[in-house]
Order: sequence, then C-alpha cells, then structure tokens
Amino acid sequence: MNLKDTCIYIVKAVVFGLIMAAIFLVITSILPNHSLNTGLSSVHSGGAELSFAKAVRRAAPAVANIYSLSIDQRNPLNASSLQGLGSGVIMSKDGYVLTNYHVIKKADEIVIALQDGRKFTSEVVGSDPVTDLAVLKIEGDNLPIVPFNLNNPAQVGDVVLAIGNPYNIGQTITQGIISATGRNGLSSGYLDFLQTDAAINAGNSGGALIDTNGELIGINTAAFQVGGDNGGNGISFAIPIKLAHSIMDKLITHGRVIRGALGISGEPINQVVAQILNLPDMKGVLVTGVDPDGPAARAGLAPRDVITQYNGEDVPGVEMLLDRIAETPPGTRMDMVIIREGKTQTFPVIIAEKINEPE
Amino acid sequence: MKTKLSLLSAALLTASLSLYPAVSQAAIPQAVEGQAVPSLAPMLERTTPAVVSVAVSGTQVSKQRVPDVFRYFFGPNAPQEQVQERPFRGLGSGVIIDADKGYIVTNNHVINGADDIQIGLHDGREIKAKLIGADKESDIALLQIDAKNLTEINQTDSDNIRVGDFAVAIGNPFGLGQTVTSGIVSALGRSGLGIEMLENFIQTDAAINSGNSGGALVNLNGELIGINTAIVAPNGGNVGIGFAIPANMVHNLVDQIIEHGEVRRGVLGVSGRDLDNELAKAFGLDTQHGGFVNEVMPKSAADKAGLKAGDIIVSLNGRSIKSFQELRAKVATMGAGAKVEFGIIRDGDKKTIKATLGEADKVEAEAGNVHPMLQGATLEDNKKGIEITEIAQGSPAAMSGLQKGDLIVGLNRTKISSLKALKEALEDQQSSVALKILRDNNLLYLVLR
Repeated sequence: MNLKDTCIYIVKAVVFGLIMAAIFLVITSILPNHSLNTGLSSVHSGGAELSFAKAVRRAAPAVANIYSLSIDQRNPLNASSLQGLGSGVIMSKDGYVLTNYHVIKKADEIVIALQDGRKFTSEVVGSDPVTDLAVLKIEGDNLPIVPFNLNNPAQVGDVVLAIGNPYNIGQTITQGIISATGRNGLSSGYLDFLQTDAAINAGNSGGALIDTNGELIGINTAAFQVGGDNGGNGISFAIPIKLAHSIMDKLITHGRVIRGALGISGEPINQVVAQILNLPDMKGVLVTGVDPDGPAARAGLAPRDVITQYNGEDVPGVEMLLDRIAETPPGTRMDMVIIREGKTQTFPVIIAEKINEPE
Repeated sequence: MKTKLSLLSAALLTASLSLYPAVSQAAIPQAVEGQAVPSLAPMLERTTPAVVSVAVSGTQVSKQRVPDVFRYFFGPNAPQEQVQERPFRGLGSGVIIDADKGYIVTNNHVINGADDIQIGLHDGREIKAKLIGADKESDIALLQIDAKNLTEINQTDSDNIRVGDFAVAIGNPFGLGQTVTSGIVSALGRSGLGIEMLENFIQTDAAINSGNSGGALVNLNGELIGINTAIVAPNGGNVGIGFAIPANMVHNLVDQIIEHGEVRRGVLGVSGRDLDNELAKAFGLDTQHGGFVNEVMPKSAADKAGLKAGDIIVSLNGRSIKSFQELRAKVATMGAGAKVEFGIIRDGDKKTIKATLGEADKVEAEAGNVHPMLQGATLEDNKKGIEITEIAQGSPAAMSGLQKGDLIVGLNRTKISSLKALKEALEDQQSSVALKILRDNNLLYLVLR
C-alpha cells in the first residue's frame, strides 16, 4: 500500500509538473523575450537599437555651418571673401546661436547656414575671448533647437558625438568618449573643459558635443589642439554646457562678460616660499606682481604678500582665487586677509572690472 | 500535505525545465557591473576572412620633356622626351564578394597600372589574381582568384544605413596586416569632394589609412555597407574623416563588369544643379533636398521618359535624392538599360516617372581627322575640356609639344569645351592656330603650324 501511494504521488507530481512546464514554455515562447535579450543579443538580431541615429536626429538639425566673411580693405568693392569657417549651435527658438569667438572674431559679415538649406546673415550679440565663446542671433521661423540639460554634467567614459562641419565638407558626426574633465588652465587661466577622443577638426569649432540622448553637453573648440591644428590625434576639447550657457546669458544681458579684477599676479605657495616667508602652512597665494593702477595697488598690496582669505573664505590656490575675483561684481568692497612679514593683516579692496586685452 | 508537496515538486520541475532555454541564451557573458558590454569579436570571426590584402607591382612609365638647353647642344635631332621606367609596388585591401567564383572587389586606384596582383588571404594563402574589369570614374575594380574554401562577405541593402549607425572598417593599413577599426557613419551621400568623378560616399570616423583602400566597411552584423576608398588627410594620416563607396553602388558596378567586362555607364540626359534655398523659394517648394533639372537633352532617356526642365528629382527607385551629384553618381553607376523610377516635383505636384537609362557614347576621336598636326594623339571629351589620353612618340602631335594628360580648353581666343566644338573651330582655321592647354594646372599656348 505504502509503495502504491508513493508511486501515485510520484506520478501525480511528474504529470502535473510536466503540464506546468509545458504551459510555461508555451507562454514564454509567445511573450517577447525582453528579459533574456539584452545588449549584445540585439547586435545579432538586427542591431537597430545599437545606433546613435536617434540622438543625431534630435540634435543635428540645430547645428549650423558658420561662414565669416571679411571685406578686403584695399579693394572694398571686391566681393566678400571667406575668412573663417566654423559651426554653431542654435540654443533657443528666438534664434540665439552659440559658437566660438575665434570663428567670428575677424568677420565683417557672418553667414549662418542651416541644415535645411536656409541661410541667414547674423549680428554678434556679444563675445568673450576668455572662454572663446560668442553669441550670434538670427531671425527665422521654426528654428530647430538643441535639447540640453544643465544639471547633467558629462563624466569621464561617457559616449559622446561631435557634430560640425570639418574642412567645410558638410555636416559630420563623429563618435568618441569623454577622456577627461576638469578645471585647468588651457589658454585663459581658468577654464572649465571637457576632453574627448571624438575627431574634431578645423571647422568643427563652435559645433555641438552631444550625449547619446542627443542632449548638448559642450561646445567643441578646435582652437586648443595638442600639436598644431591638424587634429586627428584623439585629443580635442569642448566647453561644458553649464559654463557655455552661463556665458551666453551674460552676453545676452550685457553684451559682454563682466568680470572682477584685482590687478595682481600670483603663484602658489611651495615649501621653499613657505619657509622663507615663515608661513604656518602652504595655503594661500603669493603675490608676485601688482598692477600699479589696479585695485590691489590702491589698497596697498605689495609683492611678497601672501593672500590667505578672500571675502572671509580661505584661498586654497591661484585658480580658485582668480575665479572668485572674476565672479565678484566690479565696485564691490572685499576684505582680504594677507600675511606680510609674518603678520596677519586685513586689507579692504574695491574690485574693478577686468578689461579684456585685445588680441 | 501531499498536494502541497506535489505542487512543490511540480514547481521545481517546471523551474528546472524552463531554466534550460535561459541558460542557452546567456552563452556569451558580456556584463560589467550589470551593464552589457558589446564586443565585436563574434561578428569579426565570421567577417574578417572575407577581407584580403592586395599587393601589386608594375612599371610606372613617366615621360619628361627634354629641356630646351639640351636641344641646343644636341641639335634638332635630339629626342623630344625622355622616357623613364620605374618599378613600383603598392598595397591595398580587397573584399571577397563571391566565394564560389572567387570575385574580389577593390579600388581601381589600388590596382591601376599593375602588371602583377597578388591576393593575401586571411588564412595565409597567397594567390595571383586576374583583373576582370575596372571603372576609373567610380574607382572600383573587380578581380578574380582561383581558390577553394573562400569566405564571402555578407550582403545588405546599404541604402538602409543611417547617420549614427556603428561602422567597422577592415583592411590592411600601412601593410601592417589585417586591422579592424570602429566608428560610426558620420554622413551619407557625400559628394563634391573632387576625389572621384562620381561621388556618393558614406563618411565614417572609423580610422582609415593608406592601405585600407579597397577594404570593407561593415555594419555590426558584419554585412558590407561600403568599400573604403579615401580620406581627408591634412597631415597624411587619418583625422576621423574617411569615405566609402556604398555597397549598393558597388554591386551595380560589379554586375556590369561581370556581364560586359566593363561599366556601361547609364545616361539620363539631363543637366542640373542642387536644389537650394533660393531655388526652393522661387518655385514655392517646402522641400530643400533634391536635384533640380536645368535642361533635358533632346532624344535622351530623360526626354523619352517625359522629364522636363524645371522638374525637381527627389527620389530614385524609392530612395530619396539629396543632391544633383548624388543623382548623377547613382544614375551613372546603374548601367545602361537599367529601368528606373524617379519621384519628381513638377509645378508643386508629386509625380513618378519611369525611365530606361541610355548608354553613354564615348566621344573619342582619332585626332588626325581633327587637324593634321594633331595626328598621333587620342582625344577624349572630359568635363573640363578635351583630354589627350594617348600620344604616339615621334608623331606630329608629339612634335608640336603636346603631352599625354594635356587638356585642350581653348583655340586662339575662343573657349572650347568639346571635341565637336574643336572640330568646327578648326575647320575655319587653315593657317597657324594656338591651342590653349591646361597642363598640371598651368595654362599655356601651343602653336600648331
């Protein structure tokens, strides 16, 4: 009896199990296999998802070709001649276009050509040589604009696409990754930058660096090529969208970027300097030169002073100090703490406006 | 209790049975921190044997005019030109498109002028290839080898690719050996570069260098989308701007070469220009892409099909046409007699027009009939003028100072752009005439007496 019971039990279980398994198999074969097909599987089965076509479609129409023309001074009746070539990104429906300053800096006339064939002549709203950015404006209906998200900073390793018009061969999309990000001195003292290995060449300047969603993450600039402007070595730079956007806002509001100036040159503190000047630590900035007509000279700062605090905050390094001074509105009174001959003193200074040196 | 147990064992059995397919699907592990990491290796294992290296050797004949100062010393019997023969070697890549017949596609510029073509297969074999035919204007050549166990490349419709799709270049850069580089499709329908006579390139940022020419550009499935042909190289090497001839265009050309041993260029018989903003505005169009028909040649294929000046050609066989150059390249590579369907816009209305492409009549003339002093030169109509494609040594034409490659662009003070015009103009000139010649981008006059 016991054996029979066991047999029945086993047979029941097996039959029931087989039926359930059959049902399960039928159902899973009917349902699309979402959970099982990831990533690479789609490579084998058509590869439609593994393409940046969608991102390109979102952003590419808003990246325009920019031609800067200059009129021959000796022969002004001659037709305008092409002086500069670059790209630009349409940022808003009202026609503000971001590009590089060096693309348009010597232009007498600027022509912006959209991918749909429309051409506009454009005025310069404002330009900022320090960050190599310029804002142009065009008037047109149904302008394509680039999507962007200011709160989504690019990270090293992100896949990116560069859109521009290299060598004027027509709109070109190149792909790479973010190789580095940082706040480092490139040409201008304190510039935020993105580094990418996407191919960026002459003519790409002012064009878009987008992420795989098609959102703008930077403005490409071919001006800072390592080893000449031949490009192609996998080291190119872009200005991050957050910096570019804030500069754009300032250029639209004031026509220029107003930066504070102190009128000093400085160096970071090293061990030798700290010892000679008898400093408690290596924080602060050593003043190496003072502009005789600048705010620092008026306030009484002198070379060999060490600035340790600016507006009540510690000064960790030269770049940070220059950045904070630049962001102080001119005319503001600021207290600076310095160490002179071993003694800590406080100096009030009135920040002036930084004058861009003509290039 | 028993029911519960039986349900439990049933569930276990269900699970164990249904686990089986799941395990088989996860055969290739490809995850880093939970994210899939694609590798091209499986695709490349199947594809790379279809890409070969092409090594050529031959003799380059260069002719140099003897400087006048030597003629002063050696008298009037001094030779007009010095013929130099220099052996050359070249390296490129090729793609096996038919494993049974041994057909290999490469660029014309890879094998141009070669006496010997050696194919290096992926498995190490080296086999001498025969040239079946070539087309200079599109830069495609077809070779054939006699070998077994070949792997051919997979085919696809290259009109389906999009800007932003991944692209993989396979070739033999700098003769290093087979090299795979990856990138994306940077642009489509690229023309107006002045690299080839007929241009309709796929542009890619996959690294392409010297020696990659004739190699494959494939998609992620390993299907051929183009033949790598050229790059923009301001400093000699790759800067992320490479060009490939679309696979569909290659197939059209190869089919003609197999059938006729040469490309019988299809001719539509229209001249035109790109549709641009101004034209679109003037014609009240909402599209900005297409080929604008300026003129329809009488009795041409276009004329017979009913195309008219002012029509805008926006598609060819259902594929959109972006520029006149793209239309030109596509039509010219389709082959004479091809039946095509154009989508056009006429007076604001969309229409379709069917046409059968005509054959290009190669205007080539024995130059002695044109002018006695041109005897010994072979003249051919070229886009810019009349090209001297061949010149017999010691012939009256050579004695007049004409050289191979010269382009006749004018006669006396009149501009001449066709052989027909040159003939007509010469008929009225019995005495000395001055030919305006373009040689190595320099303009010069040669007097025929």
